[in-house]
Amino acid sequence: MTTRSLGQFYPVDSLVHALDPRAKILATAVFVAGLFLIDSMAGLLFVAATLAVLVAVSRIPAGTFLRLLRPVLFIVALTVLIQVFFSREGVTLVGWGFFEVHSGGLRQGFFLALRILLLVSSAGLLTATTAPVALADGIEDLLSPLKRVRFPAHEVAMMMSIALRFIPTLGEEAEKVKGAQAARGADFSEGGPLRRARSLIPVLVPLTVGAFRRADELAEAMESRGYRGGEGRTRYRELRFRKADALALAVTALVLLVGILL
Amino acid sequence: MRLELRAVRHVYARGTPFEVEALRGVSLSVETGEVLAIVGGTGSGKSTLAQHMNQLLVPTGGEVLIDGVDARSLEKSELRRRVGLVFQFPESALFAPTVEEDVAFAPRQLGLGEEEVQERVRESLVALGAAGLAARSPFALSGGEKRRVAIAGVLAMNPEVLILDEPTAGLDPATREDLLALILGLRGAGISVVLVSHDLDEVAEVADRVCVLHDGRVRAIGSLADVFYRDPSQAPTTVRVASLLKESKPEIGAPVRFAETLEALKALPGV
Repeated sequence: MTTRSLGQFYPVDSLVHALDPRAKILATAVFVAGLFLIDSMAGLLFVAATLAVLVAVSRIPAGTFLRLLRPVLFIVALTVLIQVFFSREGVTLVGWGFFEVHSGGLRQGFFLALRILLLVSSAGLLTATTAPVALADGIEDLLSPLKRVRFPAHEVAMMMSIALRFIPTLGEEAEKVKGAQAARGADFSEGGPLRRARSLIPVLVPLTVGAFRRADELAEAMESRGYRGGEGRTRYRELRFRKADALALAVTALVLLVGILL
Repeated sequence: MRLELRAVRHVYARGTPFEVEALRGVSLSVETGEVLAIVGGTGSGKSTLAQHMNQLLVPTGGEVLIDGVDARSLEKSELRRRVGLVFQFPESALFAPTVEEDVAFAPRQLGLGEEEVQERVRESLVALGAAGLAARSPFALSGGEKRRVAIAGVLAMNPEVLILDEPTAGLDPATREDLLALILGLRGAGISVVLVSHDLDEVAEVADRVCVLHDGRVRAIGSLADVFYRDPSQAPTTVRVASLLKESKPEIGAPVRFAETLEALKALPGV
């Protein structure tokens, strides 16, 4: 109940929250694609600055947002280290026999680290400002042209939204089972990795059994309410693509273009 | 063993928009060998309170005392052994291939010898009337049987205080009766029992004292008679109206229709 990490929806009212989910998904896609086309540090820093402004507008506290990045810090650190130690570009700054640190390596390491952080941040901003249900609706709409080639857009979106919907439920269930086993003397923090993995069995078995039971119940509940796939199904919340959404998309594309040109 | 809570507060998800203050300064004690019932509506903080008693949850403010000693200073495994906690729907935590193995989990975690473990498993299964299930798979049992096995799994630690969070929720009457008898049996053996419940009938049946929790605060605590009968100001409106009705129309004994109730109400002074 208390752990929030990558991809948690943060429900406050803001301009970013109010945007159409389709606009946000497309903008994120444009952003991510654009990141790979930017090859100057100045461009990357410019894009980073705009993203920072966007986070401020979204009214998500900076601390909460930075916590989203914690899971990727290890990869970022690894990237920097590899670049610093194995790149032989630019001026030699430090040299201890085999280990040499070059200015080009430092620069390249910093550049890649920033790119990874921006990738994760943009995806994080999307999921933090978009309710899971809205996100699934948006994806369904964006995939619906593929229905013509028999791509099951509705089913894929339904599976996604069910999966998203049940993440917190399973998390809660996991907390409960962990609590119940801890009350029976289980200790999840003791011993080496193997022992710790073994100590998770009493949690994982009931969770798996519970997940299957839940899936069965959900399927029965859906069928008993007449669910039979996406054919002719209407929606409770209609998505509306407004001027603001088009504007947001255009601004994103513009920012990335400037970034690429810089 | 005496368990005491002093001004315990608990805040979930502090510093996020999901912040909830579940307990707002709860003080109460569980005396040796008594059955204390904790009642209250959903969301009143009952389950949160139960998890503070063995430090699965650590209070945001206030303290939990075990025989006068701050629970935070006690060894965790020792505390968990002395204060047994049975979660709501405990059967969802069954995991072992056989009932026997599952009940043996807790005593094994305590590091007991194999003989002692087997002895405890047998004893607690017998206490729960589940001795015949030992070799079965816990996943193939009925709801009531699963509940018995799950409770036996906590009882096998020989706790000095047993906390049961809504142990009879969704149970068949036979298992319910057996559980209530078990609670009285434990009390007879000097073990304190905390019964979290919102079934006032079963509370009246087994509890010595009752604590009413509302909105994270203790609204009333005392003997059954004190809480249920003597303090009408704390009773919900429906109970007050019912007792007013009883006073003015003592002949009402049989079920009454709604229209008749309305008429009787209109005749009452000050309603």
